[in-house]
Order: sequence, then structure tokens, then C-alpha cells
Amino acid sequence: MIWEVFRQEKPGGYHTHCGNVHAPDAEMAKLFAEVQHGRRKPTNSLWVVPQPEIAEVDAEDTTFGGTTDKSYRWAMTYTGVDASFAEEVAESQREQETADREREEVTAGGNS
Amino acid sequence: MSVIDHLSGPEDLAPDEREAVETLLYRLADDEFVLAERYTEWQVRSPTLESDLALSNIAQDELGHARLWYDLLEDFGHEEADLLWERDPETFTHSTLVELPFESGDWADPIVRSYLYDEAEHLRLQALEDSSYPRLEDRVGKVQGEERYHREHATNWLERLASTEEGHERVQTTLDRLFPHALTLFQPVDPEIEARIDEYGIRTQSLDALGQQWLETVVPFLESLGLAVPIAEDGAVTADDLPETIGRDANHTEDWFDLYEEFTYTYHDLGRDSAERIMSDPDDQ
Repeated sequence: MIWEVFRQEKPGGYHTHCGNVHAPDAEMAKLFAEVQHGRRKPTNSLWVVPQPEIAEVDAEDTTFGGTTDKSYRWAMTYTGVDASFAEEVAESQREQETADREREEVTAGGNS
Repeated sequence: MSVIDHLSGPEDLAPDEREAVETLLYRLADDEFVLAERYTEWQVRSPTLESDLALSNIAQDELGHARLWYDLLEDFGHEEADLLWERDPETFTHSTLVELPFESGDWADPIVRSYLYDEAEHLRLQALEDSSYPRLEDRVGKVQGEERYHREHATNWLERLASTEEGHERVQTTLDRLFPHALTLFQPVDPEIEARIDEYGIRTQSLDALGQQWLETVVPFLESLGLAVPIAEDGAVTADDLPETIGRDANHTEDWFDLYEEFTYTYHDLGRDSAERIMSDPDDQ
């Protein structure tokens, strides 16, 4: 039986597929995976998954992303964002806060 | 039990202390080295690619452990060539369990052998964790770290091999053959020196105590797999239980001399007079 092996380098990271091992059961698969996939590269955790349990849908079965033009989904506006843009956002935020405060002062004055 | 709290460094040991430390180191190093030599014979011959890599990996671990122990012998001025490649094979003090050859294709053998050996290894390392010899004590943790895998590997395999009729039969045959040799793991190199090793606190458990603990571990486990352990019911080990050749007392089977020939062949063939160093000293790592 084939077990697909997924390696996680650091706690919190993704388990990434790194190969497979032949083993009769999960215990032996873990034991073999440890040597084959956990010794040469930094490893925090390994998953062994029975290959038949992995369900797949591939490019032959479907058209990933559809067939019509959906380029409007691409948020291209933000690709050129740099530090100056962050400054612009902060500036706009400050303006709104000032406007907010002024509004409150006007409203409070009107009630007294 | 020990009268000595801590022994000094290698250069300040009294001659009788040094002899005790050296004897213990040779026991440890020779076992690990010779077993690794034998395991290596399975490389590209194990039943599957995975089992091949796992056993080769264990062999590498054992070679690494041998290096750590031989390196401590170098503290006393020995060089690698004198410790291995040019050493008189009649002075090696490993147990016969590690020198016996494998029958071609008999996978039960490395599994049973590894199980019997690694359980013993685990116990004897525990008896060094508080060794009075600081150089030894420092390195035990490193070695124990790799031993867990060895024991799990052997145990998992044994459970599976013993679960079918044919496997069970093969494991039993191997056990009958290897068990007497495994008992030699706890035999003295020289009773007087072994007593000194205990007295100085270099090892915190005597060989007899370790042997008893080992039996209390391996006998119930093997019996739980439905195997018969060739030993008296009360667990008493007598001289009759031991094989003709002990190994520890530097008496060896013919197979050892063949193996020695084999692993020193290239060294002599190339006309070497010292060992090539390809790794830095364990103290610098």
C-alpha cells in the first residue's frame, strides 16, 4: 500500500507533499517516512495519508477558473502599492477622524 | 554504591581508573561498530526499498555512536588506525550477537537481533546517564536520542512478522539461535575490571542488574507475541545458557575474523597507515 507523505517544516506552517512510502499500515508508514522524508530537511511534523483516500479533481475533469473572461476579479489596482500608498491611506484616515470629531462637536453644541 | 563522586578528565586518571574507563569504552564502541558492519550487508538486499533505507539509517546511527565512543578512547592517545584498522582482531570485546553473519534473505534475523540488542543498549545507556566519568556522561543523551527509533523499528517489525504462521516460525527459529548470544551482551570482559567500573561509578548499574532488567523487558514482550524464549522458567541464567563463544572476553567465532578481514581489506589494499578523517572531531561539533 502506498502512503503519501506531507512534511511541515515549522510549527504552524503548511504540510507540503514531499513523496510517498510503501507500508502495510500507518505505524510502519510513519516509521519509514521519518527516515525517508524527515531526516535530511528540517522537519517539525509529517503526515502519512493512504493514497486511495486522497480524492482528486484535475484539469481533465474541470476547467479551473471557468471559461469566460473574469479578469475583473484580478485586483490589479493594488499591484503597484508601495510605502507612499500606506502614507496616503494614513493621511486619509486622519482626515476622516478629524471630520468625525468636528461633526461630534457641532452636534454636541447644537443640543445644549 | 559508588565511592567516587566524579572522576577527573582523561589526562588525570589513575592507571586503574583509566583501565576501567577504557574497558567500558571498548565494550560499547566495539558492539556498535561491528553491529553496524553487519547491518550494512543488508544494504540493497532488504525486502523493500523502505526497509532497506530504515536499516541502513540504523546502521549509520550505530556507526555514529561507535565514533563517539572511539573518540573518547582517542583522549588516551589512541589513534583511529590502532582502534580499528590495524587493531588485533583478537582484542575486540564485542558480544558474539553482533558478529554472527546473516543467512541470505533471512529478514527475521536483523529484526530479532536489533530488538535484543537495542533493548540492551537502551538499558546500558541509562546506566551511563549519571556516570562519574564526565566525558561519557556528556555524550549519552546524544546516543539515546537515536535509540528510540531503533527500538520502535524492531518492535513494530517483530509484531508484524510474528502475526503470520510462516513469520512466527521464522522469528522463533531466529530467536532460538540468537538468544544465547544476546545473553553475552551482559557478560564481563574481565570480572575484576567490571567490578571496578561499578565501584568507580563509571556505570551505575552492574552487568547482572542490567541483564535482569533486560530479561524483565524482553521476555514478557516476546511471550506476548506467542514466542517461546529459550530460558529457565525462573529467569536464572547459568553458564549452560551461554554460547560456546562469548565475544566479550575477546574469544570470537571464525565469522568475526572473516568480517575483520573484509572491513580492513581496502585499508591494507591501499597501503594506508592512518585513517582518513572526513568529519570534524565530535568535540568540535
